[in-house]
Amino acid sequence: MVTKTEESELKNLEIQVDNGGGGAWEYLSLVRKLKVRRSDKVLKHGLSILNDSKLRSKLGADEWTLYEQVAVAAMDCQCLDVAQDCTKALRKRFSESKRVGRLKAMLLEAKGSWEKAEKAYSSLLEDNPLDQIIHKRRVAMAKAQGNISGAIEWLNKYLEIFMADHDAWRELAEIYSSLQMYKQAAFCYEEVILAQPTVPLYHLAYADVLYTLGGLENVQTAKKYYASTIDLTGGKNTRALFGICLCTSAIAQLAKGKNKEDKEGSQLQSLAAKALERDYKQRAPDKLPQLTTALKSLTLSS
Amino acid sequence: MGSNDLKYEVSQNAYIKLVLHSLKHPTSAVNGVLIGRISSSNDTVEITDAVPLFHSQIPLLPQLEISLILIEEYFSTKGLNIVGYFHANERSDDFELGGVAKNIGDHICRYFPQAAILLLDNKKLEALKKSKSSSAIMQGCI
Repeated sequence: MVTKTEESELKNLEIQVDNGGGGAWEYLSLVRKLKVRRSDKVLKHGLSILNDSKLRSKLGADEWTLYEQVAVAAMDCQCLDVAQDCTKALRKRFSESKRVGRLKAMLLEAKGSWEKAEKAYSSLLEDNPLDQIIHKRRVAMAKAQGNISGAIEWLNKYLEIFMADHDAWRELAEIYSSLQMYKQAAFCYEEVILAQPTVPLYHLAYADVLYTLGGLENVQTAKKYYASTIDLTGGKNTRALFGICLCTSAIAQLAKGKNKEDKEGSQLQSLAAKALERDYKQRAPDKLPQLTTALKSLTLSS
Repeated sequence: MGSNDLKYEVSQNAYIKLVLHSLKHPTSAVNGVLIGRISSSNDTVEITDAVPLFHSQIPLLPQLEISLILIEEYFSTKGLNIVGYFHANERSDDFELGGVAKNIGDHICRYFPQAAILLLDNKKLEALKKSKSSSAIMQGCI
């Protein structure tokens, strides 16, 4: 997950390079560091550096890192011949390397030869059973073939070994959500929040899943997590503000028969509603009437 | 599921918006709602506009509820209703309507019984680059 400052820095560099202002190598290094997926730009600018022998020799040892980056980007854009050339160049230089072996297996995967790729990955794992990237490639392959239950199985096995990989937990939560197995998704998000309690995005996602699960307790917990998201983002997260309004009206509906007076809840909702109205006035004043009617319908139904 | 044959007309505006939305997010599933009305002769559903919804977090409920409420509000002032749902799957060869899409479609059907679901055919989208076929690249299901 990238922060806003990093995202804007990346965008600025991207615009600069796109308009011929140089700085391609810095852009590529930033993409590598932040692990974002900008394969078409990486391919374009990476190839322009690699094809120019002067620029290439300036890179020195970093040249091989660039080959690897461009190879992966080419596979993502389905330019398999480019990927093959890069992998060949790397193989000539590092013939015994595990990293190159991994690239070769990824190439097989990109071509769609699933069984050959599977064999290549298994043999690589035999030599190196703790290679995280290969485990994840196996999960990705299962997902790409449409074998979602296989992907879940592999991902669970991976997480038994590498319990601290919160990106993997997040991926598992998203897979579970898409299969509507919300309870398991909630569990995964709990793991992620434990690992990184200050990232508001996870609180938000967890609250969403809890709300979708439904039931009075879940919706009450969801409200707490929406509130913590607002806390962590300084009140700027529109989704969380909406979430609070939805939760309060849902709780009121669910608790109708239980005769609970929730004065604090309605205060929270009116605060959230006011914050939303302020936000809309600033950013989208012509949509304000829709917002007010929507909010009214939510409070009316409670 | 009406017994009489209903025709569905998709306006260029709606069509282009949906296709562009799916192209902007090639690595994730996207969905959206179709806006329109029933023609006065009661036999054609005119889909005049489309609102792209999400490109991540699709199966989660709160965002869907809020967006449907706001969209309904906005378009009812113009005399239009939500008449359908659009979905594009993540994988290029996945041409089935998943559980989430079916549920959302059913929900919309409850409010508008003649609602339609459009599913993007990714293979035909790819072929568009090479050929100039004008056939629809979406499959309609009711």
